[in-house]
Amino acid sequence: MDASDRRRRAAEEAAEWWVRLQEHVSSAEREQYVDWLRESPVHVAEMLRIVQVHGALAQFERWTKLPAEASNEPEAKVVSLTPEDNSLTPPANHPKHTTYRSLLVWAVAASLVIIVGLSALFALSARGQIIETQRGERREVALSDGSVVQVDPETRLTVNYESQSRRVTLERGRALFHVAKNPERPFFVRADGTTVRAVGTAFAVEQASNSVVVTVAEGKVAVLTAHQSLRVDQPETVAPSGTASPKTLITVHAASTSAPQVTGRASRPTVAETSIGAAGEILLTANEQVTVGGSGTTEGVREVDSRRELAWADGRLIFENDSVEHAVHEFNRYNRIQLTVTDTALARRPISGVFSASDPDSFVAFLQTVAAVRVTRDAAAGITIHELESSH
Amino acid sequence: MTDRDARFRLADWFLKWRQPLRKFLIGKGTVPTSDLDDVAQEVFLRLMRYDRTELIEHPQAYLYKMASNVAAEWAIRGRYQRSREPDWVAALAADDHSDNVEDQAGQIELQDEIERALVTLTPQQRQVLKLQFYSGLNRAEIADRTGLTERSVKRALMKSYERLRHRLDTERFAKVSHARVSHGRE
Repeated sequence: MDASDRRRRAAEEAAEWWVRLQEHVSSAEREQYVDWLRESPVHVAEMLRIVQVHGALAQFERWTKLPAEASNEPEAKVVSLTPEDNSLTPPANHPKHTTYRSLLVWAVAASLVIIVGLSALFALSARGQIIETQRGERREVALSDGSVVQVDPETRLTVNYESQSRRVTLERGRALFHVAKNPERPFFVRADGTTVRAVGTAFAVEQASNSVVVTVAEGKVAVLTAHQSLRVDQPETVAPSGTASPKTLITVHAASTSAPQVTGRASRPTVAETSIGAAGEILLTANEQVTVGGSGTTEGVREVDSRRELAWADGRLIFENDSVEHAVHEFNRYNRIQLTVTDTALARRPISGVFSASDPDSFVAFLQTVAAVRVTRDAAAGITIHELESSH
Repeated sequence: MTDRDARFRLADWFLKWRQPLRKFLIGKGTVPTSDLDDVAQEVFLRLMRYDRTELIEHPQAYLYKMASNVAAEWAIRGRYQRSREPDWVAALAADDHSDNVEDQAGQIELQDEIERALVTLTPQQRQVLKLQFYSGLNRAEIADRTGLTERSVKRALMKSYERLRHRLDTERFAKVSHARVSHGRE
């Protein structure tokens, strides 16, 4: 076995170890790994190279541009996809190359420090940080990367930060994410079968009874369904809405490229006509919202007032021709003192107004001005609202 | 509490080193075979000296830590040896917003390079990588979506990394050799 054979073999083993080490490994396996590293400097070198490959993949931004069925395509075709890029490539003998050795040694140090840090982080939170709120409880949590999550009552989510990605799983409820920008480490929020991807933006995810609602407050985002993502190696056609697979993958990222604007309120699916980008993504900008149903279908992109939609994050409840019953339900989520409406006619009555979520008394006072009601307060049962006979 | 402090420190580190990380990953800032092998040789010696049972606890963390120490020590040594090179010190001090044209060009060059390498993979390998890096799926989910077994997903990942390692190395080495010849360095 000559030197290049040994190196090839070492590269193969390093790749295998890298993939295995991404999962939970037993102490016996770690022992084997350490022994393998201590067998030869070539093993160490090849492991460091695999780390570089991983770093390059984590930095790669053109996944959606990759050619379809391209294993046998000539490379020239790929180059032609991005002709403008080549014109910007600096000449190989740029004067700054004289400093590259020093620079790269520093850079190796720096990038390895980051990897050490992030792997330590990951070790600390192998099972994830759990954030959970009860009825009547709201929280605002600063995450280690500078992102902030505003968590609504009755919500549970898990935060898992890894070296190449930031992952949050929303098990129930809703949360607003202000994502610290970091293109090298995308931010994923998963709810049910839906995944939202962001680089640096503000958006909310709500897990409703049989759907997931994504609302964008800032920046531009793109949404990709699983049906489309499965076809990474197929020609990039758009799936007609309604034929998506049972699980829908929503991918949201801050897109720097121009996104076709969606205007107007969509009452029917309008995704195909309005906002499909080059890669089959549904592009959303600020003040747009999409709902993914349990069957994976979307109702199309809606234009919304995100400040109104996300007012809950600021502790405000906004009602616009919503029923009293709905308003009471919302107040009860935010407070220990529970409201009860005994009369069905009153419960169905539409109301509009802006309220502080933590102040059910002001809502009761408001009700008293618009309807003839009698209010009883009880330490155990909370506040009960009865409609007076005479109000009919 | 200590964990929390550690996390904030790590976040600081990350912000501080983002720019060098990008420079490290762009084409001309990559490590030529000989330099990386030198670092590896020194790391190997340290691994041999270190207590095996401790290494087994967090092998990857120790590996990265040693490699980053070696690289940092050499960089400090290099700073005194090369007095005519203030450029890169300034570059390291620059913040994220100072991306100049050259950085952007380097970034594009890197993206081109990775794209060319990815095209040499099989469609299935590319699909698996895309689902991991772009869609953020874990292996079980990738298996679920592609209809592959988890074992096949792992296999595709291993093969992809190995292939990309050779592919990227060839390109980079050619480029670095060219730069060295151009400047008559070492």
